[in-house]
Parts: sequence; structure tokens; C-alpha cells
Amino acid sequence: MLVELTVNGEWKSAECPPETTLLKFLREHLMLTGAKLGCDVGDCGTCTVIVDGESVNSCLMLAARAAGRDVTTIEGLADSQGVHPLQQAFENLGALQCGICGPGMIMSAKNLLDQNPEASRPEIRDALSGNLCRCTGYTKIIEAIEEAGQVMAADKTTQSNTI
Amino acid sequence: MRPFDYIAAASADEAVALLAENGEKARVLAGGTDLVVDLKHNAGDTNLLIDVSEVPEFRGIEETSEGVRLGSMTTFSEIMASPIFQKKMPAVVDGAHTVGAVQTRNLGTIGGNFVTCVPSADSAPSIMVLDATVTLTGPAGSREMPVADFFVGPRKTALQPGELLESIFIPKASLGKPSAFLKHGLRKGQALALVNGAAALWLDKAGNIVEPRLALGAVAPTPLRAVETEAFLEGKSPTDSVIDEAAEIAVSECRPIDDFRASANYRRGIIKVFTQRVLKESIRIAQES
Repeated sequence: MLVELTVNGEWKSAECPPETTLLKFLREHLMLTGAKLGCDVGDCGTCTVIVDGESVNSCLMLAARAAGRDVTTIEGLADSQGVHPLQQAFENLGALQCGICGPGMIMSAKNLLDQNPEASRPEIRDALSGNLCRCTGYTKIIEAIEEAGQVMAADKTTQSNTI
Repeated sequence: MRPFDYIAAASADEAVALLAENGEKARVLAGGTDLVVDLKHNAGDTNLLIDVSEVPEFRGIEETSEGVRLGSMTTFSEIMASPIFQKKMPAVVDGAHTVGAVQTRNLGTIGGNFVTCVPSADSAPSIMVLDATVTLTGPAGSREMPVADFFVGPRKTALQPGELLESIFIPKASLGKPSAFLKHGLRKGQALALVNGAAALWLDKAGNIVEPRLALGAVAPTPLRAVETEAFLEGKSPTDSVIDEAAEIAVSECRPIDDFRASANYRRGIIKVFTQRVLKESIRIAQES
């Protein structure tokens, strides 16, 4: 079947079998390998992408269901101006070790901070309950998300002042 | 995954017709958080997925003069964000919040959770204590039944072949009823409940319990309404000794199993404590309102 959708702001289309998950579609049909295949059953969260403003496990969503929607993957975060505040904060704090959970962690964090940049620690922990990291113990990941939230909140203020 | 066809139904009639045409080889796709996993590991002879997640008749939260109609394809995140649920059924919001994690709550639906029908379904107890009913739709038309009757056994519902779960209805009389939900798992996030439970009750002018409801999950083959406990509590003064006795009756009504997550004996201990806690919390809310 032909699946057409917006990915990171660009209209994309590709043929795929109906049983293709969104994760497989992104990785093997659109060659966007940022979202990772981890557990493949919706537990680990490393496949997390944002569809129409909501984070989902792309391993559990069929590509057919994403047709016509707006998908954001980790590849959509950096732009010509530089990396996203979350990516910068993860780098500043050394929040990743092996890194495989990173794309999912950052997409879950983006989903939270876009709605609530001043999220508290308990809110951050709750928002990350669907993302597993087996290296870091989460401490620096949570600190990085707090730092990115401060930057995003400040950016928001600057933007609204400019307007 | 084994190859299958996919059709997104545009209406309830189309979904019913597709299901009738394709019989047992068709499966109904809601949020997919259970079914897609199942298809990866054990597709059987499934050759068609009928996606009902966007069927308009199965969507939405609507308050009428009779109560609240909750479309079966409402996601857990939508329930949590709903002002109607936040204000009038906060225990349902608490139950929804304990399902999976953000990503699975953005996909998973309450109807899917009901139809999967595992004894530990976190969305069941807080809905059951509100005297909710379900509406099923099929080739012969629609029918209604109490939620508790919909759950027949582990992974077995009252749905007949060709039928779909259309909506859940919470009667007006239950809106704003003091209620509480609790879940005990081995972790806070993404853990199946060892025991979950909810209570709802009113207090009359004398402070006695009226229309008490208690539902417990993961303690029997299906989510369970503890009807003997409810009968015992009716009209009683909410003293500690009454609550303790109610908790003992609740334990006797349950049939928990031993499995790798917990022993039956451990579950009985939790049932007792949780019954006390959800009753006390409901009473506290009732006394403050």
C-alpha cells in the first residue's frame, strides 16, 4: 500500500506492505534510522516518535495508521541554527552512555517540555516511565531535561517579547 | 509480521459489515498496544485488520442529561485530559494514569483494554464502581449490559462473533460520587497490577454509607465487583472496625492465583489493605464535600 505522511516537515510517500510498523517504515522505507528498534513490544521506548503532537511507540503503530499525519523523529530536531536545547543539554551533562535509548528519551522529553517546559522532577520521571536506560541510572538524563526546560522556557519568553 | 490486509473503517456500519464478511480471520484494531504485539508473536491465521480507531461513533466524550457517554476508542491520554473526567470522575483519571506509559496511553484505548479483558485491566475497577454500562453493536443491532457482565473470563468478553464494543456509559447518578483508585505493581511504571481496586460511595446526612461500590482487579478470572462487601457496608457507619470487617469480606470474595509476580497469599494481604485504603479515601472525600 502507498503511505503518504509528513515527516519532519516534509511530505513523504512510500510503498510498503500493510503489516509494516511505523518504525520499520521510517527506518527501512524512508531511511530515517534515528528511532531505534529495541524490545519491539512497546516497553523500552527507544522507538518513540511524535505523531500529531503525541509521543507514541512507533513499533506498535502501523504505518498505515500514520497516513496523512504529521510525524516528528529525532532527525527533525536539529536545524540550520544548531541542535535542539534537549540535544545540547544531553551533551552538556553527558546524559548518554551507550546512547541507544537517547532518541526515544529526547522525543519523550520533547513531548513533555513542549507542553510544560517547567515540568517538575516527578513530572519528568513520570513522562519517562516508558523509556528504559540500562546504563546511566537516569540521574543525568533527568538533570539534562530540567536544563533544557529552562532554556526552552526562556526561549518562549524571548519569542513572546519579540512578538 | 505475517502478511495481512488493512482497512480503516469509516463508520460503525462499515466496521460491522467488514467483520461479518471476513469472519474469524479478521481482527479488530483499536490502539494496537496489545494486538500488534500479539500479531508479531502469534498471528495465527489473521488475514485482515479492521481499524476502528477513527470510527466516529466509537469516539469522543459527551455529557448529556442522562450521564456521560465514553466512546470505546477514547485513548487513556484523552480520558486524563478530559475536564469532565477530571472534575466528576477523578478516580477514572487515576486508573488511566497507571496504564502503561505516556506512549502507550497515547495509543491505547479504554475499549481495547476492556476487550483484551485481562484480570488486571487498570481501567476496569474505577469504571465498574460507577455502575457503568457498555453498548455493543453488531449485525443484529445494539445491546447494553453492565460493565461487570461484559468481563466473562481471562481474555473472554460477552461480545458475540461480529459484535463490537461501541461505548461505555456512566449514569448521571454516579457523576461526582466520592471514589478512589489504587494500583499495586512491582514498579511504578509499566508494571501489571498485582492487585488494583476502586471504591465509590455516598454518605447520608447521619454520616452512614449509602450505595457503596467496590471493584478489585487481578484477584479473580475477571475484574470483580465485591458485592458481598458492598451489601455489608450499606447503611453502616464508616468506623475503623466496619472497614476492617469489610476488608475481610473482600478477601473472602476474591480468588487470587499464585504466579511468578506474586503468591495468592501476598495478593490476599494487598486486597485487605487496598480495600481499607480505597474505602477510607472515598469516605474522606465524601466527608469533605
